Amino acid sequence: MAEKTGKARKAKAPSATRRLRLGLGVMLTLLLVVGGKLFLVQGLDVGGMAEAALQNRLTPVELPAERGSILDANGTVLASSVIRYNLVVDQRVNTKTETFRRFDEGTEKLVEVSRDQGISELAPLLGMDTATVREALTGGQPYYIVAKDLKPDVEDRISKLQIPGIVTVGTSKRVYPNGSVAGGIVGFLKDGTTGQAGLEQTQDEILKGTPGKRLFEIGADGLRIPVGVDQLTPAVNGKDLKLTLNSDLQYFAQQAIQSQRDKLSAEWGVVIVQDIKTGDIIAMADTNSPDPNDPGKADAQDRGVRAVTAAYEPGSVQKMITAAALIEEGKSFPLDKFTIPSSYTVDGQTFNDAFPHGTEDRTLAGILGWSMNTGTVMAGERLSKEQRYDWLKKFGIGEAPDIGLPAQAQGILTPADQWDGRQQYTVLFGQGVSQSTLQTVRAFQSVANNGVMLQPRLIDSYINPDGTEEKVPAQDPRQIVSPDTARQVRDILESAVTEGQIKEAALDGYRVGAKTGTSQSPCDDGTAGFCGYTASMVGMAPMDDPRFIVEVVLQRPKGDIYGISNGPVFRSVMSQALRTFNVPPSTGEPVRLPQFAK
Amino acid sequence: MSAAAVSRFPVATDAAARALPGITPGTGPSRKARTPLSLVRSAPRKRRAPFVVLCFGLLAVALMAVLVLNISVSTAQYQLVQLRSEQSTLTKQNQDLTQQVQNFDAPQNLAAKATELGMVASTVKGQIDLSTLSVTGKAKPAVKGDAPGAVIAAPAVAGQLRVVPPATVKEPLANRKPAEAAAPAAAASPAAEGAPAAPAAPAAAVVPAPPAVELHGGSVPAPAQKVPGQ
Repeated sequence: MAEKTGKARKAKAPSATRRLRLGLGVMLTLLLVVGGKLFLVQGLDVGGMAEAALQNRLTPVELPAERGSILDANGTVLASSVIRYNLVVDQRVNTKTETFRRFDEGTEKLVEVSRDQGISELAPLLGMDTATVREALTGGQPYYIVAKDLKPDVEDRISKLQIPGIVTVGTSKRVYPNGSVAGGIVGFLKDGTTGQAGLEQTQDEILKGTPGKRLFEIGADGLRIPVGVDQLTPAVNGKDLKLTLNSDLQYFAQQAIQSQRDKLSAEWGVVIVQDIKTGDIIAMADTNSPDPNDPGKADAQDRGVRAVTAAYEPGSVQKMITAAALIEEGKSFPLDKFTIPSSYTVDGQTFNDAFPHGTEDRTLAGILGWSMNTGTVMAGERLSKEQRYDWLKKFGIGEAPDIGLPAQAQGILTPADQWDGRQQYTVLFGQGVSQSTLQTVRAFQSVANNGVMLQPRLIDSYINPDGTEEKVPAQDPRQIVSPDTARQVRDILESAVTEGQIKEAALDGYRVGAKTGTSQSPCDDGTAGFCGYTASMVGMAPMDDPRFIVEVVLQRPKGDIYGISNGPVFRSVMSQALRTFNVPPSTGEPVRLPQFAK
Repeated sequence: MSAAAVSRFPVATDAAARALPGITPGTGPSRKARTPLSLVRSAPRKRRAPFVVLCFGLLAVALMAVLVLNISVSTAQYQLVQLRSEQSTLTKQNQDLTQQVQNFDAPQNLAAKATELGMVASTVKGQIDLSTLSVTGKAKPAVKGDAPGAVIAAPAVAGQLRVVPPATVKEPLANRKPAEAAAPAAAASPAAEGAPAAPAAPAAAVVPAPPAVELHGGSVPAPAQKVPGQ
């Protein structure tokens, strides 16, 4: 029995063990298979399932950078970006939806609304008539823009209508709250993003900023998964641009020159107001200045800034440079005596004055005060041709001032060896040489600022998105003439107002120095002779400590050229500038250099 | 542990019974010194139930905590979305109001409004210097109805109210009438102030045409000479 039992046990035991081992083996194999699969899926991700799922959840969103604003010196906004909406419709959806249900917030119930009712509610919001809106919503296009640049409150009301197929898409729109005031300087955008004119064009990179990106996981319910991936590359907003302009004064100057242009039917006019101490341009007015909100309405030739783009022959204002050169070279002085015949001939070139006169004994001051070409040529002869060229060049003629505007003219200053027989003398009184208004202002600024030329500034600073201000450094000043020469030239200019022919520039309470210029303007089509005149007046005040320069230029006014005067415009703009900046009235006696030599 | 190993595993080990020192049975001298038997109090059996309850309790609390945390995070997400939309609404409102202020602030609109109210710009100013008590310049009163000169067009910002009356309006107060007439119409439509969209943008006031020049029958005005001082 025992044996039997033992035998049975012997027979049974191995089979049990074998079964156990077999089972264990199967289990382990299965475990290996499951573990391997797990490893494949989790560890190696064969087939990219996890990757695909993650890609499905990941949502990239571009974060647009906000375009910087353009501000004037006092922070008045000249250009900024606002949110606007475009109304887009999927016409297929809207056309086939005859009725839709809308949640009424008042009654907290769903109400049935017909398509017609929805359209008639939408039309007044868009300011369009019902038929036009219906036409826009009907059809088979999946994407059709019904209206553009809707204001946020309108967009809000439209969204509440819950009309099927209609969505609003946010866009950024550039607005120019001051319109045509400094419109040409500010410029405008091409397609809502890229600058096409003015500072918007030249400073585009700085204003634009860098768009950012956000990458996050989003669930099927449209909410962000809080524990998922969240990569944020913040957008870097564009920098704000702060100008040196004063928009009130800019308006004043624009209005004054526009009135003058309209009165005299001139082609165009320019006014520049510059701070002598810093070189800051306070106002730079153009006629028919474009409104950047709607630049298409302005004529193409009016869209720029003529104060820097238009180079023309300046005329008698250039006599100041001749006088400064003569005094600095020691070749003459303000009370130097010249005996001037009624008509002066040199090297076969005859020069006349704008008024007939007999032989007169004049001072250098008197030559400028009465703006005599004969006398200027007589005095200027004392300078060699090279000296005349060098001095014009020193005063910045032929060198474009860089204030950050597009198409800045540098004018034409022909080298001295290329001058012809007449040009070598005409450059002394501002013919045969061309320059922009800003170049003239810069030359007068150096005399007003004790002989130190400061480069004009228009962009005062860049304001970073964090609010810090980066001042645009002033360019290196240049000593053009000695302070003593500058003072003598200023005395000549003041005498031109007190004793000479520019009495209309005088202001009550302030000592003013000024010079007029009337030049023959060559025809635009290149035909011989000239077409009309360029009339200008440039002056500075107060003479005891010059603070502002104002230049008024009028191109080709119609009618009697010697009957017109830029004096009233000069006076009103200058007095407005002095008042705006609270410049105290002049002290001391005005300089009165005799105009006739004894 | 395999089945074979289990079968071979010893049932008891030596450590199960502790040998008491000095009480080795069967050894002679220690036979007398037999320690009297005494009742050994059994060590109190540890009750397991509180521990298990504690474990389950902790588990439940942990689960609850995770749940609450999850709910609060989700709620915060919803709140975040709501606050974001509130923020954007306020930003838009602020932007809109700022634009309105800027529109009224624009120098040409300000000037036009002043003209509309009958104000005239004075041209000649005088100065009083308080430190020297000197008066310079002769201030002249502005002339009523003086021509203001050229009109700079109002900014053509789409959707902004027109502050400047159109240049064609002759009577200074005439431009107020259509505003009153438009009021009932505005009341009829709840969105009147926002209604003028881009297509309805106000056309800016037109600069008056320059006066005709006396040409004496010719086509090009001839420049004339003049003696200075006359």
